[in-house]
Amino acid sequence: MERRVVITAASAITPIGHTKDELIDSLINGKSGVKKIKEDDLLTDRVESKVFGTVSYPIDFDFKRKYRKTMGPVAYYACQVVKEALESAGLEQDFISSGRMGVAFGSTHGSPTVQRQIYEHFFSGSEERFSAIGAVDYLKSMVHTTAVNITKMFEITGRVISSSTACTTSSQSIGYGYEAIKYGMQDAMICGGADEYDTTTVAVFDNLLACSTEYNQTPHLTPRPFDTKRDGLVVGEGAGAVLLEEYELARKRGANILGEVIGFWCGNNGGDLILPNMAGISETIIQGLQNAGLEPNDVDFVSAHATATKMGDVAESMAIGNVYGKGPHVTGLKSYMGHTMGSCGVIETIITLHMMEKGFIAPTLNLEEVDPRCDMIRHTGKLREIPIKIASIQNFAFGGVNTSLFLKKV
Amino acid sequence: MTRDEIKTNILLIFDEEFEIVNPGLDDNLTEDHDFDSIDALELLGEIEKILGSELTRQEKKDAMEIRTVNQICDYVASLAVKRALM
Repeated sequence: MERRVVITAASAITPIGHTKDELIDSLINGKSGVKKIKEDDLLTDRVESKVFGTVSYPIDFDFKRKYRKTMGPVAYYACQVVKEALESAGLEQDFISSGRMGVAFGSTHGSPTVQRQIYEHFFSGSEERFSAIGAVDYLKSMVHTTAVNITKMFEITGRVISSSTACTTSSQSIGYGYEAIKYGMQDAMICGGADEYDTTTVAVFDNLLACSTEYNQTPHLTPRPFDTKRDGLVVGEGAGAVLLEEYELARKRGANILGEVIGFWCGNNGGDLILPNMAGISETIIQGLQNAGLEPNDVDFVSAHATATKMGDVAESMAIGNVYGKGPHVTGLKSYMGHTMGSCGVIETIITLHMMEKGFIAPTLNLEEVDPRCDMIRHTGKLREIPIKIASIQNFAFGGVNTSLFLKKV
Repeated sequence: MTRDEIKTNILLIFDEEFEIVNPGLDDNLTEDHDFDSIDALELLGEIEKILGSELTRQEKKDAMEIRTVNQICDYVASLAVKRALM
């Protein structure tokens, strides 16, 4: 038995805003959330990329100590967006704790801030500092810290899925949450991802020559997906959560349905762990379309992964071109906020839901001159007032992991 | 180090570290104040600071049956005597 799955609540913390209105304002007015990187005493002097997709506004975290004590910064983000999503959904606590609702939530690697503190103790050579490693440091830093802090705070007793596949972390969360409901294992799943401000991630991509370095004095002009003058990705921070529910249950309780998840696919390139792979991406899109029961010309909008690396954007454009031709409008939403890593899939999903509701498609920011090698697709060069009925969100990660997710306006 | 000083120290730790203000000395900390296993481990770290020395594995195991502030004070006092601090 296959069941319909709908999204009934969403919340995001992003470099371009926290509320729905802030996000829409940034998209419509072309506001970038990329800022100069904040100085730290660790890496910022040594990395060449001096830009970061930064959450620069205050957030009123109001968590009791019994929750705070096992949370690093990444779990604060995760629990905040889940709190906001659940508050807007209005589910009964009895249902949340019934075992019929689960969590699919992850981050790239837990809390690097807390991990750094642990390593400082380890390598200090001091007995006293070694014994100072706190009992809760592991709970704050571990890979599944977001998912289980969520279960604790909201007393969720169902399934726990905690992907940590870098850039496909939260698209996998949504996809696997969708499958858990579709096939009857759960009736609702709170799904998403988060990543905190972290300069070690910048160093990883910087050392691979994948980070943007030419716009250090003009952060808002980078990243530039598909543009001839793009020079790499910009690392960012953020979080997002979507509540997935079985359609009939959502309808009966009068839930506000934001959209329907109609298909998902995840595949691997089966080879190189870093290089983008046109064949692997194409296959993931094709399998996703089949899973959703769609033809390529059914899709109105594609949210491209589009990190603005030299090779990645070309491989993705070719894959989209191969499958869709110049049919759907394509936007690279990372152009507004950089690459929020474990949260990019869910943030791009939430933005797509907002555009679906409001009837517009945001352009790719900083796309001034399309790279001829990316010109086989229908780029969104300016703001379009076009209704989206069916959209696809695609994400790709180190390790050769590819996902495609398909949403429908209900 | 007197028992009163120990009590003052412990209550200060409960206030500052655990946000439990002036608990009854015989309250069941788990049932009345949500004091859990993670807090217990953190408290042992704080007790090590009061004593100025690490607890042995056996001393930590001995603490696992403790339920009240009074029992914590007795526990710390016995360790202080062992370390010739009282």
